[in-house]
Amino acid sequence: MDPYSSSSASSGSSGPSTEAIMDQLKNQLAQAYAEEFLEALKLTFLLFLTVRGKCFTKCITKPGTSLSGSESSCVSRCVDRYIEATGIIGRALFSSQR
Amino acid sequence: MDPSSPAASAELQRFIEQEKEKAMVSEMVGKLTNACWDKCITGTPGTKFSSSEQTCLTNCAQRYIDMSVIIMKRFQSMH
Repeated sequence: MDPYSSSSASSGSSGPSTEAIMDQLKNQLAQAYAEEFLEALKLTFLLFLTVRGKCFTKCITKPGTSLSGSESSCVSRCVDRYIEATGIIGRALFSSQR
Repeated sequence: MDPSSPAASAELQRFIEQEKEKAMVSEMVGKLTNACWDKCITGTPGTKFSSSEQTCLTNCAQRYIDMSVIIMKRFQSMH
């Protein structure tokens, strides 16, 4: 439905046209989406930095000339556990008895 | 719906508030996971959390909230 169909906005003499308003709205929306996307990207990157730090401490205790098989599998498990821990914390805060 | 109508702007406001709340919640969960990971996961990460690690994480999060309440009360009583 056209939200402006009953108004006189398209008559021209009073203020911007319907198209102009819709264009402006679309631009604002596009900008908001872009900002949200960047924000999500930023958060993902921050999580990456955190997990990298945690797993380096846990798994690469004595850095050798190359990453050993056990070190790389430790890192994989570490990432999985960190994500799992995030779920546990979330549930602890926002479910059941609280 | 007319985007400039009061009903639409109230709905938008509500939506924005909800999104802000969601962002705050996930930030909180992120911070707590960071802190509780250091406290509770002492060994090398295995394929599964032990039940003690799991309990520790849960307790850690809930005690953090208890602690926040105490600190807030302490602050309020100072002014």
